[in-house]
Amino acid sequence: MKKPINGNTPAQAEYIVDARHVGKHFGTLKVLDDVSLAVRKSEVTCIIGPSGSGKSTLLRSLAFLEEYGEGEIFIEGELLGYVMDRSGKRVRAPQAEINRVRRNVGMVFQQFNLWPHMTAMENVAEALIRVRKLPKAEAHKRALAMLDKVGLADRANNHPARLSGGQQQRVAIARALAMEPHIMLFDEPTSALDPELVGEVLQVMKDLANDGMTMVIVTHEMGFAAQVADTVVFIDHGKIAAHGSPEDVFHNAQQPRLRQFLQNYLDRNAFWARREEPAPGVVPVATESSRI
Amino acid sequence: MALHFDASVLTGSLPALAEGFATTIAVWMGGVLIGMAIGFAIALLQIFCGKWVRGFLRAYIEIFRGTPFLVQLFVLYYGGPSFGLSLEPLTAGIVGLGLYGSAYFAEAFRSGFTSVPRGHIEAAECLGFTRLQVIMRVQLPQMLVIIVPALTNLIIVLSKETAVLSVVTVPELTFVLTGIGSEKFAFVETLLALCVCYLVLVEVASRAGQWVELRVGRFLTR
Amino acid sequence: MFSLHALLDALPLLIKAAQATVLISLVGLVVGFVVAIGVCSARLSKNVFVSKLGGAYVGFFRGVPLLVQLLLTYYFLPFIGINVPPLVAAAAAVSLCEAAYLAEILRGGFIGIPHGQLEAAQLLGLSRVHAVLRIQVPQALRMTLPSLVNEMVMLVKASSLISVVGVADVTRTAQNIAASTYRPLEAYVAAGLVYLVINGALSLAGHRAERRLAQG
Repeated sequence: MKKPINGNTPAQAEYIVDARHVGKHFGTLKVLDDVSLAVRKSEVTCIIGPSGSGKSTLLRSLAFLEEYGEGEIFIEGELLGYVMDRSGKRVRAPQAEINRVRRNVGMVFQQFNLWPHMTAMENVAEALIRVRKLPKAEAHKRALAMLDKVGLADRANNHPARLSGGQQQRVAIARALAMEPHIMLFDEPTSALDPELVGEVLQVMKDLANDGMTMVIVTHEMGFAAQVADTVVFIDHGKIAAHGSPEDVFHNAQQPRLRQFLQNYLDRNAFWARREEPAPGVVPVATESSRI
Repeated sequence: MALHFDASVLTGSLPALAEGFATTIAVWMGGVLIGMAIGFAIALLQIFCGKWVRGFLRAYIEIFRGTPFLVQLFVLYYGGPSFGLSLEPLTAGIVGLGLYGSAYFAEAFRSGFTSVPRGHIEAAECLGFTRLQVIMRVQLPQMLVIIVPALTNLIIVLSKETAVLSVVTVPELTFVLTGIGSEKFAFVETLLALCVCYLVLVEVASRAGQWVELRVGRFLTR
Repeated sequence: MFSLHALLDALPLLIKAAQATVLISLVGLVVGFVVAIGVCSARLSKNVFVSKLGGAYVGFFRGVPLLVQLLLTYYFLPFIGINVPPLVAAAAAVSLCEAAYLAEILRGGFIGIPHGQLEAAQLLGLSRVHAVLRIQVPQALRMTLPSLVNEMVMLVKASSLISVVGVADVTRTAQNIAASTYRPLEAYVAAGLVYLVINGALSLAGHRAERRLAQG
């Protein structure tokens, strides 16, 4: 194994992802401002916040799909995306190095991003063949096992065009899983789905969490976050405005922006008709977790 | 003034006609192949190379798209000997058509590369694919499907441009038929025959293009 | 070898000849546009026969190479008794050919307007004529303007073929210069430069016009 060329002490590998004072500019706009986030093994962290708050940018930075300008992101103790050149200045790492550091990070996108010219099976097996250099038969065997895990073994030979949105996203999850990542990043995985299809994807994610996968999820599904997350992070205008257990963030919200955000969400999603007391004898629908 | 149409002019010269038609097809296919090869190479270079190479390629494309094909042929065929390049009309025709087409093919391939959704490339990058692997396994298969209409359009345009080659004495269809026309003083018959020939050629090419589009376009999602 | 001097000498004559090139291209665009409106209307007509006729027109003029059309006009017109100078015959051929391409562009423009806009207009009580003039035409123009500039550039290049029927445009003049100075390379490269400048100027003007339309 190649020795990492950016000497960081292995002690920092306590955290699978360790983001410290991360900042990013887009022109004059500060998209991320002094964001620090540490995720331990098997922890599930949910990131919530209004549109444009920078939550997707933060997640994508964890996979170096966005170049974060300031701060550091360590993946299992290794600095992601940058190396020190001879004069001690920080420069963008060569692509091979970036790929190496993020080899154990898996990502699931809002738009699924399955490759339309390949079947489900081929989508899942492709990276095993090209990147892990597995022989085709072995790769297909593993791919089938992954598809089975997300409940789609019978659709292995379908092209994405023949699959529903929920099915496509589950294939995307299988594709990321096949590489045996140590951590999975989810960028609003259900936002592009019809409401009836959200449940099947959330179920797969719940199972993954129960199996002990380390996950960082950007989501609007508050019920899911309340049930599954160990930590909830609220991002607003590029800063972390609140951070804690679901109990802390959802039920004991102190921060005014967070309270407003949660209230807006409740107003949009609760389905008792008026903002008055429900009729006596009727138990109001508890939280959005009833959607799962 | 009596209108007079003599079909025997045509039927009497069928062998020459056939040869001319064959030459047209040969030059056309040769030009298309050269044009696509150079055009594809240009599109790839534009992805991988630095500022100066890209600038040079940009100039190349602008020159070949901004000047008339006829003038390009004249430079190549009549101007060539001035810098040591003496080509046979047929060779000059194929090379000229290929160079002319390469600029347009390059633009088509370039737009094909950029039309593959960014997310598909990002997903591959996240899974650890190298740059080359992303191009070969993700971008190329999709983009070839997307640009089929543009490619067939270009191929048809080039088939009509072969007529211009007659001006530099390439023995293709237009050259042969207009020659017969002058010889036998039968311009209308030969010109109308020319029209029919090209209409047939274009129609066949269009149908073929549609067939390819249908067969290849099945996998495209959004 | 290459003589810069010969190239520079050729330029003044070529620039003068550019007048014919630009003139024919403009005539081709304007007359072609007028004819295109007719052809486009025919194509969009409800009458099956008329729309097929329009389709046949487009099919013919886009399927046959321009060179053949030029030769056809050059030889055919005297054949049926119309004797016109080569320039006029060439202009006619170029216009008729261009009309076919413009008709398709216009058709695309009209079809591209979302149908919902007309429905909204109808519901608001606008008359049919009003809807066409105030909603469809401006949008069709806006959508087709970039293509129109493109067509103009194509026309300028295609006009080089009129040299074959003897019109004294840039290409024909370059041929004369090449014949008299025995320096074909410089003459034709100079011709290429002239065309590049014309097309470059056209594209620039087109971008400016596009930007101004986009704001308005």
